[in-house]
Amino acid sequence: MTERVRALRKLIVEDRAHHAFRREMAVDPAPYRDPALKDYQRTALRLKTFLENETPVILPGERIAFLRTLPDLPPIYTDAEWAGITAKHYIHEQGRVCNLSADYERIIGKGLLAVLNDIDAADDGSNRDYFDAMRLSLRAVLDLAARYAAKAREEGRDDIAQVLDKVPAHPAETLREALQSLRALHFCMWCEGDYHNTLGRFDQYMYPYYRHDLQAGILTREEAADLVTEFFLACNRDSDLYTGMQQGDNGQSIVLAGMTPDGGDGCNELTDICLTASAELMVIDPKLNLRVNARTPLSLFEKGTRLTRLGLGFPQYENDDVVIPGLVKLGYEERDARNYVVAACWEFILPGVGMDIPNIGALPFTGVVNRVIREKLGAVKDMEELKAAVREAIFAEVRAIAASLRGLYVIPSPYLSIFFEGCVEKGRDIAGGCKYNNYGLHGTGLATAADSLAAVQTMVFGRGLAPETLIAAMDADFEGYEALHHQLKYECPKMGNDEDEVDDLACFLLDAFADAVQGLRNERGGIFRAGTGSAMYYIWHAADIGATADGRTAAEPLPANYAPTLNTRLNGPASLIRSFTKPDLTRVVNGGPLTIEFHDSVFRDQEAITKVAQLVRSFVTNGGHQLQLNTVNRERMLDAQKHPENYRNLIVRVWGWSGYFVELDKCYQDHIIQRVELMVGT
Amino acid sequence: MNGIVFDIKEFAVFDGPGIRTTVFMKGCPLRCQWCHNPEGLRPEPQLTVSPARCLHCGKCAAHCPTPGRCTACGACVAWCPLGLRRIAGERATPEALAAKLLRGRKLLEESGGGVTFSGGEPLMQWPFVRETVARLEGLHCAVETSGYAPDEVFRQVMDVMDLVMMDIKLTDPEKHRHFTGVDNAPILRHADMLCAGDTPFIIRMPLIPGVNDEPAHFEAVAARMAGAKALQRVELLPYHKTAGAKYGMVGMTYAPEFDVDRPVKIFTEPFDRRGIPVVTM
Repeated sequence: MTERVRALRKLIVEDRAHHAFRREMAVDPAPYRDPALKDYQRTALRLKTFLENETPVILPGERIAFLRTLPDLPPIYTDAEWAGITAKHYIHEQGRVCNLSADYERIIGKGLLAVLNDIDAADDGSNRDYFDAMRLSLRAVLDLAARYAAKAREEGRDDIAQVLDKVPAHPAETLREALQSLRALHFCMWCEGDYHNTLGRFDQYMYPYYRHDLQAGILTREEAADLVTEFFLACNRDSDLYTGMQQGDNGQSIVLAGMTPDGGDGCNELTDICLTASAELMVIDPKLNLRVNARTPLSLFEKGTRLTRLGLGFPQYENDDVVIPGLVKLGYEERDARNYVVAACWEFILPGVGMDIPNIGALPFTGVVNRVIREKLGAVKDMEELKAAVREAIFAEVRAIAASLRGLYVIPSPYLSIFFEGCVEKGRDIAGGCKYNNYGLHGTGLATAADSLAAVQTMVFGRGLAPETLIAAMDADFEGYEALHHQLKYECPKMGNDEDEVDDLACFLLDAFADAVQGLRNERGGIFRAGTGSAMYYIWHAADIGATADGRTAAEPLPANYAPTLNTRLNGPASLIRSFTKPDLTRVVNGGPLTIEFHDSVFRDQEAITKVAQLVRSFVTNGGHQLQLNTVNRERMLDAQKHPENYRNLIVRVWGWSGYFVELDKCYQDHIIQRVELMVGT
Repeated sequence: MNGIVFDIKEFAVFDGPGIRTTVFMKGCPLRCQWCHNPEGLRPEPQLTVSPARCLHCGKCAAHCPTPGRCTACGACVAWCPLGLRRIAGERATPEALAAKLLRGRKLLEESGGGVTFSGGEPLMQWPFVRETVARLEGLHCAVETSGYAPDEVFRQVMDVMDLVMMDIKLTDPEKHRHFTGVDNAPILRHADMLCAGDTPFIIRMPLIPGVNDEPAHFEAVAARMAGAKALQRVELLPYHKTAGAKYGMVGMTYAPEFDVDRPVKIFTEPFDRRGIPVVTM
């Protein structure tokens, strides 16, 4: 990191001095809430109003401008209007466009003026209002860029002014222009009210500019790295305003390396520069994903591991060998599938062509299995009958979820729409759909469900335990059933220890899930995708289940994502990886990583880093889809709960993203501390 | 044939080359004052209890078939509501242990690793270890040993193992007897056998404050190692205060005679001078 970026980091991350520029927007009455306006007109007019009220600020030493000065984005609807809409419609999350990956590559490459021409060309008069909304939005963005250029000149920063004279209006030619263009475009996405939309394949779409600059002698590799580092840092300027479910959950993720649409290897010098920039900055944004495959050289895994050691909770690894064929099986075109990126957490999405909603619902594996055990165990004669009942219940649950997802309404986003295929050409808003309109379902608590079935197999069908005794023990939360509780917990096989008896049951459950979504269509003509993620559902789904047959007490949470049951006695990470790579994961590629926690003392030297890298590679060669490693120190987290003031910069991975530990709700803090009981120590 | 194993640790990254699975064999003839695996000392299975969180509910005692005389039968284990009781030491056949270890073979081989037998003192159960190794189908095998074993056993070890990691704790015979409970003559004899032989080996020096962290000890070890052609390196293992953590679990008291808080002193010069690679772990 250069002194220049170090000083900016101090200003933004440590001193938070840029917060001094923040103020409230006071526009009353809000013109964009005029009842006569259509929803997309409101969005466009609010974007215009908001950007007009933004004050250009040039921070000392920066080369990439744009700072948010208005913290709050007012809604386009009044509370009463919104209540009317929610009463009639299915609303996903906050009702706005989220969890997509915009095609920044195309827009940076052509510039907004060219997009305005495209709009004019497409506008045949039949949909004038919508095209006007698009035009209004783009002109507002261009206007803010022009005011930034003027402000830069005023402050004697002609370098910034010259860049902003050119982008985002015109095509970027240099790396600095491309980064400034991306910064402006991404900044305005947030100002439109869209959220959780990712930065995509940054090292791929920035590489041509990087190569151009090096060949033209405009930049050295070090100067390019300096700019990339500054861009990464810029992602942390306003991120406290970008709230998701928890602070830090903001979707500013980047995907590095991986197969190109043509089938080549995308790993390049920028991949390296990004990994280094992240390691030097030690901040939560952008969150890095690393796409790998069985032929990826060990050196790339080692670079990833050196980043893991720092405790940021990334990179997260995606295995092209599983994800791409999995997406093709779901019906994605091969070129699109090869271009996949990762959504805010871990769902696989397609930049510029996908309006998938990959987290629209969740199959609660533990809840379904638990219900079947409680209701059917006394009536079935063997394990096969019980499994048949579970399969039937999974099908019924999936159908019920699918049926409940009717009447979706998403607030239109004319500005973001220009980044998606066909929206300008057809005058269609991205909120209404794109090339792909699939829905993804998480699958939560898989391991606890498999463990519960395995416990029944061992104790009831193996050792002759009476079903009613098991149910009574579960109802009593195992009080008064200590010996049985111990047997369930410690004498029955658990997923994560490479024991086929239970791992086969996990395979059965995932297969049933994948089978259950087959053939289902959503109201947008898309399909349903099965996955292994949990998001915040692991906290929600644990409530009201009660104790489970695997010996989990009612008060114990479910595991997050694709992970063993909490408090399981594990043999170690090698068995864990073997267990979790047994299922055919190409069938459940909605996303959701296996998480392994490492104690920070594991990474003692270069040799140890190589060994962790080899372990990661074994996950990939065994057919794993997604892996996320954490470096943690339990003692530090416990101390941070007592003395948060001393740990403002302690970063942890939560469910699909990294955040500052002390800013999380306590239930999430506690879950992470419990999770690390399963970790790999020394 | 049965062996008694008290732990199997996967992804051991500091017990030899590559990624390794380490098998902890129960029983040790030494009683080193700094031992951090007290549950590995006695040769037979035994009960361990984590005392810190015990509620003293009495359920374990109520279900004990032989009150006052623990036979490690395990009857109490299931009754502890917090799962604090375990039996350390499980019997296994070489066939069963080898089959279990071979499940992880791919990663071990890909990383240039293998299996390490540790303890306790693995050579106390040498016939079992030898039979297990014979069933590991050529997987790289290493042993971590005190070197305290009959000469014939040690000759076989050098024959069978791909790597021997042996401690030299103290070169002074009197001090060795005092701090470990046994004579160091066979250990030094086996060190000489290693130096004269072809089996790759690593010498490990646990460094204990005030016991052996003095120049004379480093000099004596270095002089002994001079010219050993199969010596890979010397590893220094500074004493760690957490060594005493598990004594309460096996009903023992941790009462070392040295100052556990004093940092150890390290003198690598005798090795550096002779060109012997030395690393601090």
